[in-house]
Amino acid sequence: MFGIPRSYLFNRFVTFLLTVWIAATLIWIIPRLSPVDPAEVMLGRMASGGAFVEGSEQILQSLRERFGLNDPLVIQYFKYMWAVVTFDFGVSVASFPTPVWTLIAQALPWTLGLMILSLIITFIIGNALGAFMVWERTPRPWKVVIPSLMIFTSIPPILSGLLLMYIFSVKLRWFPLTGSYGLTVTPGWNWDFIASVLTHGFLPALSIVVVTFGFWTLGMRGLMISVQGEDYVNLAKAKGLKPRYILYKYMVRNAILPQVTAFALKIGLLVSGQILVERIFSYNGMGKLLYDAILDQDFAVIQGVSFIIILMTALSVLIVDMLYPLIDPRIRHQAEAA
Amino acid sequence: MPVLQLTDICIDFPTTKGVVHAVSKLNLTIEPGRRVGFIGESGSGKTTTALSVMRMLAGSGHVSSGTIRLGADETDVLALSDEEMRKTRLKRVSYIPQGAMNSLNPIMRIEHQLWDAIIAHEGKVARDELKRRSDEALESVGLSGHTGRLYPHELSGGMKQRVCIALGVILRPELIIADEPTSALDVVTQRQVMQTLKDVQSGIGSALILIGHDMGLMAQSVDELAVLKNGELVEIGSVRQIIEDPQHPYTQQLISSVPLVGGESFLDDTVGAPPIKRSDSGHPLMEFQGVRKDYGDVTAVHPMSFKLDGEKPKIISIVGQSGSGKSTMGGIMLGFTPPSQGKVMFEGQDVYRMGPSATLEFRKNVQAVFQDPYACFNPFYRVNHALKFPYKRFGLAESDAQVEAKMAEACEAVGLDPAIVLHRFPHELSGGQRQRLIVARALMLSPKLLIADEPVSMVDASLRATILKNIYDLKDRYGISILYITHDLATAYHVSDYVIVLFHGRVAEAGPPKQVIGDPQHPYTRMLIDAIPWPDLKRPWGADPAEDARRMEEVRGHTETIFRGEVPGFELSTGGEMRMAAE
Repeated sequence: MFGIPRSYLFNRFVTFLLTVWIAATLIWIIPRLSPVDPAEVMLGRMASGGAFVEGSEQILQSLRERFGLNDPLVIQYFKYMWAVVTFDFGVSVASFPTPVWTLIAQALPWTLGLMILSLIITFIIGNALGAFMVWERTPRPWKVVIPSLMIFTSIPPILSGLLLMYIFSVKLRWFPLTGSYGLTVTPGWNWDFIASVLTHGFLPALSIVVVTFGFWTLGMRGLMISVQGEDYVNLAKAKGLKPRYILYKYMVRNAILPQVTAFALKIGLLVSGQILVERIFSYNGMGKLLYDAILDQDFAVIQGVSFIIILMTALSVLIVDMLYPLIDPRIRHQAEAA
Repeated sequence: MPVLQLTDICIDFPTTKGVVHAVSKLNLTIEPGRRVGFIGESGSGKTTTALSVMRMLAGSGHVSSGTIRLGADETDVLALSDEEMRKTRLKRVSYIPQGAMNSLNPIMRIEHQLWDAIIAHEGKVARDELKRRSDEALESVGLSGHTGRLYPHELSGGMKQRVCIALGVILRPELIIADEPTSALDVVTQRQVMQTLKDVQSGIGSALILIGHDMGLMAQSVDELAVLKNGELVEIGSVRQIIEDPQHPYTQQLISSVPLVGGESFLDDTVGAPPIKRSDSGHPLMEFQGVRKDYGDVTAVHPMSFKLDGEKPKIISIVGQSGSGKSTMGGIMLGFTPPSQGKVMFEGQDVYRMGPSATLEFRKNVQAVFQDPYACFNPFYRVNHALKFPYKRFGLAESDAQVEAKMAEACEAVGLDPAIVLHRFPHELSGGQRQRLIVARALMLSPKLLIADEPVSMVDASLRATILKNIYDLKDRYGISILYITHDLATAYHVSDYVIVLFHGRVAEAGPPKQVIGDPQHPYTRMLIDAIPWPDLKRPWGADPAEDARRMEEVRGHTETIFRGEVPGFELSTGGEMRMAAE
């Protein structure tokens, strides 16, 4: 495939499967170290109305039976593994009896849409600013403005979210306050709905972009500085190449390589979203789902969401590994040697 | 009309500690088609002067006064706009860099890096035309058109340097500036690449500035020679006049400091302190028992055995080109590279089967000095950390005062003033100072064996003798045996007691240096020696590719080792025989 040896592809794929397996095992073990009994939590929820629950012992027993908590651990583990492979994470305790997969399937597109969009915007803006910070031909005012923009990086996203909400929703009334789309529109491929989704997504996306672009800018700046000192950049200048061409083809093109790896890792992480950003904007994504599940001690959902996060991370790393030989010919060479 | 006229050039580098005058009041004229050498040590301003012609000075450097006029139309280089300057680079003045290893963009194919240069100066050019011109340029430097399709990491150092030469001549400039174009290459490749450069340069009729610090290479390559010291031109003239009748004492010193095969020794043999008897175990200090090393299908070291006893310290040189397996041998001895076959014994113990405490002892007793004095220090710490840390780690420290005294002693032994160097950061020291500190560091641990892998190939020619003297002194004064790994036959000739010439992992010739290097018998040793550029115009040096190919054929056909005599305390054999005897 594109001159990449099959053994390289095979190795990457095996690594991918191993990662997912080990991670899935870990997220199964960790909640079991918690002293909290989910059956009791559920019972507690029933009792929260204030009333005494008739036959609570039997209910506990049947709940444990229902969730397979009485089985030996090994059996639980294999049942779990099978469930993971079939994306059957059981039913949610909090939104009983909705299957976890249904909850995830509802939340995932929102988060993917919002987060991938904001990540791509951040990646482009952040890396461009980082490159301009180093480039010797950047106009002087820019060199002052860009570093001062870094101040936004120190703001927690929750604050930037509230601030943007206050300015644009409350004062200016340009954007809706919360939610993923307006209550009056019908979901589907109609213009009203799409417009509603875009206006609702704008502020959460902006609040993430504003506070996270610094990560890429500062990273890119460091990479650009080391590339700037490379002999090949010096020779490019001696060749009389045009400055903008040198910036793109000799500097950015080489400096961006490690950033692409970071991008892949971020894709996985952002499935869990900017939890608090989704929370304050009441945005129905994975972040909010995870947040609510943690509050409710809803193990099945936590496990399901965690597994999706890991799967996404491993998957995006796998994709980048596959693409890397195409953007860096040296990797192709090493792959051949291996 | 001259190609280049420099008039009263001054170049300044403003720093936070005041202005550094890198070049002052320099006048120079270069006629068309002439080859002019700029010689001097680091910091002499030779590269700075040449780069000012391209307006490519590093950082804040600038020409503070004087004029630079280029070509028959006497273009005032300093008055050009940025865009005009860009168009002048490569088209009228081209640059062949020193570090050809990293001078090519790793993510672009070679031919694309030639094409973008053409396009930057001539605008849109048809693809067929680009391909034709890049192939032509590559062929002119002895590379096939296929090389253009490759990426830089697929090329050897010599090939990359040739690509840089092709790039330098592709637009037929009036002036080529070559900045130590062969310093990273071994002697044989150096001769071939230099010949190529001279051929293409005279082919297109451009003038050449060759920057370097090797007097022999200069003598064999240029018409005129400019000697620079501390930013001043101390002497200029025809190469014959400079070599045969140097006027300035500095020029005389540069010429006399070149170590020559058969020439006068630069070492001071009067030290003569009785060698300390070191070996007490009755075992040889270092022993190879039928050691062989393979990397995949390639044999880096063919089976060989040797015994080096520690009774009387000796310097054993291992010489050869890059890829000859000499550094692999060093790695095997240091315990870094397990051999594919055979055993490596240190004082009777297998180096690769030692327990933790024996390993610690081994590490203390076997020290190393590597090629790159820049990479050996952690830039985060002051240099005394690099000296102090291993000393404490090996449990030799008794008190802080004793450590300080020991460091001072070691610094003095290598000719450094401890008060000046020890409390500095690595970047505040010169390459020569750093390399001497590395020797001092090794010395502090009083090792029994020192493995010095190309210890002087990255320092200035004038400093090489000093550092080699330091290393040489270790033998007599401190009773340390040394394995000196190098591609430089002239220094091996002077410092060593025994020389091993390696070719593709096989011992070609071995014996005392007077025999092996002074009167070589193996075609490979002869080839290496003929490739050394001498600062002597009577010794022809030019390379003829057909002749080289014929000699290479002869070398390949001659796989038998030629043994040229013995020295007491060192036994060498090839093949697996000694291993059989030992088991």
